[in-house]
Amino acid sequence: MSKAMLIDTTRCIGCRGCQVACKSWHNLPGERTTFSETWSNPRYMNSNNYTRIIFREVAQPEGKLNWHFIKRQCMHCLDPACESVCPVGALIKLKDGPVVYDDYRCIGCRYCMMACPFQVPKFEWGKAVPLIRKCDFCADRIEIGLAPSCSTTCPSQALVFGDRGALLKEAHRRIGAHPGKYYPEVYGEKIVGGTAQLYLTPVSFEVLELDHRGFRTDLGNVPYGIYGREWMSKVPWVALGVGGLAVGLHYINQRRAEVQDQKSQEGKED
Amino acid sequence: MSEKVEKWYPGEGKLTTGRAILYVILVLGLISAVIRLFFGLGSTTNLSDAYPWGLWISFDILSGVALAGGGFTMAAAIYIFNLKKFEPLLRPAKFSAFIGYLVFVIGLFFDLGQPWRIWHPMVMWNPQSVLFEVSWCVMLYTTVLGVDIFIMALERWKKYDLVAFFRNIYLVLVVAGVMLSTLHQSSLGALYLLMPEKMSDLWASQAIGPLFFCSAVIGGMGVVTLESFISSWAYKRKPELKLLSSLGKGLGIVLLVYFAMKVTDLYARGATVWTLDKAHFFFYLELFGTVALPAILLTFSEVRNSIKGLYWAAGLSAFGVVLNRFNVSLTSYGGYRDFSYFPSAIEIIITLALIAGGILIFDWGTRYLPVYHSELSGKTS
Ligand code: SF4
Ligand code: SF4
Repeated sequence: MSKAMLIDTTRCIGCRGCQVACKSWHNLPGERTTFSETWSNPRYMNSNNYTRIIFREVAQPEGKLNWHFIKRQCMHCLDPACESVCPVGALIKLKDGPVVYDDYRCIGCRYCMMACPFQVPKFEWGKAVPLIRKCDFCADRIEIGLAPSCSTTCPSQALVFGDRGALLKEAHRRIGAHPGKYYPEVYGEKIVGGTAQLYLTPVSFEVLELDHRGFRTDLGNVPYGIYGREWMSKVPWVALGVGGLAVGLHYINQRRAEVQDQKSQEGKED
Repeated sequence: MSEKVEKWYPGEGKLTTGRAILYVILVLGLISAVIRLFFGLGSTTNLSDAYPWGLWISFDILSGVALAGGGFTMAAAIYIFNLKKFEPLLRPAKFSAFIGYLVFVIGLFFDLGQPWRIWHPMVMWNPQSVLFEVSWCVMLYTTVLGVDIFIMALERWKKYDLVAFFRNIYLVLVVAGVMLSTLHQSSLGALYLLMPEKMSDLWASQAIGPLFFCSAVIGGMGVVTLESFISSWAYKRKPELKLLSSLGKGLGIVLLVYFAMKVTDLYARGATVWTLDKAHFFFYLELFGTVALPAILLTFSEVRNSIKGLYWAAGLSAFGVVLNRFNVSLTSYGGYRDFSYFPSAIEIIITLALIAGGILIFDWGTRYLPVYHSELSGKTS
């Protein structure tokens, strides 16, 4: 059964423990950060930051400020665009759920970065011979029966790891049990064919203004890989068609020219 | 005045001013390339997580391949549609196409994060990836073009029995070339099928594959025309005006077809065409300035029968193809990001050096290989 994580943003307290846990499990260096216009810190996901908490302040009509903390990382799509575009098959969706990356295959074309609908894969721009880096859902931990390190660390059970089916059921149970507390849609249930990260939020993702922060709402429910696969399924037929047509036209046109030559010859003889 | 022009002529292999400039650019490019390899993409380019693809993808790869479409276009015209009169244009077209692909592969090498793994798609397969298909087609097609050039070299070495052998299987090469070109020219567009949400409405089309194919034919014909003029100027030959004006007629027709395809596509998708912002400015420039305008110009026989007219029409349409590739890959993507991108000096120098290198190889080739004439009397191929 494919694993997933239920991210209930109403439970998140914004402690950023998951960011730290991720760094220690993956042995990633810390980053010297500076003040910016947002509380989110570090400022961007990159090859050293696989996950971060986005801090959003949403003003209520009566002037009150509401805090929202939304965790960002690879969505581990059920049918990942990155897997379908990689020319050498360096990105693979495992049966357990994680989408993992093979350091020894990647040629560094960066098509996965362009194609990922959530802008997740990041490049090691600081290195002379860079690789792609992204959250791997702690595939090594899942393999031996542990939960990802972020969810193990989370003190408020905002990150619950488990079977995707069961978590979805739980998500809808929460929505049903607490009307008004949750926006009645689970982000990740259907988007781009479904993802392993399931988000429960008090308001919609549009209201949270996350479109330019990696969570688009206009992606549709079709996995993007389908567009590439549709194209590829036509390729053999186009090849055969063009080849056949080329050979056929060659002979037809040649024959026509010969006939014309003959005719003009005959014309001269008359 | 003749003296002033004289020093730009390539002449008989002398180091003229023109060549000297090209060599300087090439050397600068080589230095930049070494720096790029040692310090990596991050420190030498302006690429970033927000702009993973930049100038090199837009120009060296997308534009370069489209402009090198002349090889397969001319081969198809001559061997498949039996338009034998174009034969004098075939060899230069194939030779420049080969150089175009060579330059493309070198450009790609420097663009890859792991350049030494450029061969990986040969053994590590992902048949659902469009890029996988593109890499195979480009690889095979470059080989086909290489065989073509090899035949020219055989002629020079006077190995006529081998030349005769290749002549016998020539149709196979032509058909393979046309097939592979059709596939990868359109598939380069199909790369963008997977990112509709990242692109402006103006270019994010499901028909982008056929559109890329059609514009590659335009790019190829435009470049063949330009190159014919430039080399006749450089090597003091008479331009084949009659031939080129009949090629110009064909170019006009393809431009009209392309224009119709573009408009139909925009209309069918209901894209917002009439607004004014940066993306729309480049869009108008592309559609009206470099597709419609040369198409209209080429309907006049005065234009088609004058060197200047053809020069402008072909130049505009070739420029339009480049503009289209930049629009698809950069302009279109600009609205998606809160960041902007402009290539770094090293990116620009390497691109210029690739162009300079291409011209120098062409120049060298035309002097050492039978590009402009067959050394066998009779049939050219
Ligand atoms: S979110 Fe992006 S990187 Fe992660 S699995 Fe989906 S397509 Fe791949
Ligand atoms: S950058 Fe690497 S992982 Fe990403 S698509 Fe290219 S080869 Fe695959």
